Amino acid sequence: MIRVLFFGPVAERVSSRETEIEFQTGFCLQDAIAQLTARYPQAFELVSFIAVNNVQTRDMKLALKDNDEIALMAKFSGG
Amino acid sequence: MTDTVRLQSEDFSVDRELTALRASSMRMGGIATFIGCARDFSEGREVTEISFDAYGSMALAEMNKLRDEAIAKFGLLDARIVHRVGVVSAGEQIVFIAAGAEHRAPALQACHWLIDELKQRVPIWKKEITPHGDAWVTPHP
Repeated sequence: MIRVLFFGPVAERVSSRETEIEFQTGFCLQDAIAQLTARYPQAFELVSFIAVNNVQTRDMKLALKDNDEIALMAKFSGG
Repeated sequence: MTDTVRLQSEDFSVDRELTALRASSMRMGGIATFIGCARDFSEGREVTEISFDAYGSMALAEMNKLRDEAIAKFGLLDARIVHRVGVVSAGEQIVFIAAGAEHRAPALQACHWLIDELKQRVPIWKKEITPHGDAWVTPHP
C-alpha cells in the first residue's frame, strides 16, 4: 500500500488526514496522482507541493515502492 | 539541554533559548533573534487564536536543513529554531529564531534569511480563528 497524507487546508477540503492507495508493480508518482485526482478532485484545487517520503518532488516519473508515503500539500504559511 | 530545532505545542522561553545558544560558544560576539507572534487582528478581522498544522517529520527535517545551511552560508557558531503547532492564542509567541556569530552582520543576515526560508520551505499551515469563522491563511512575503 501507499500511504497518502493530507494537511491543513487540503485535509479540510477532503475531510480526511490520510488514505491509502494500492501499490502496483511499476507504479510511478504520476500513476498515484492520477488515482488521487479521480478520488479527490477538490484537493487538487489547493495542492501546490507533493512530497514522497518527506522530500518535495516535481518528478512525476519517480518510481514508487510499496509502503512509500505521499503528502499532498497546499502553499505553506508557517512563521 | 533541549534540541536546537523543535516543533512543539507548548510556549518557549526566549531566555532559555538564548542561554542555550550562548552556552555553545564563548566566541559569539553577535546574536540576532526573531520572534513571530500571533496578532489579534488580520485582514480587517479580529483574530482570537491561530491553529497550526504541520507535516511534522518533513517540517523538522527541513528546519534542521535550514539551520545547517545557515551555519554554512553565514559562518554561524550556532543557531536555534523553534516553531509551535496546535492552537496559539492572540498575543502568544509562534516562532523563535536565533543566529549567533562572531560579529553582528552575519548574525543579522542569517536571522533574516532563516525566517524568510522557513516561510517558503517548511510545511506548516496556519488557520486564523475569528468570532465570525475560521480561515486558512494565504501565504504572503
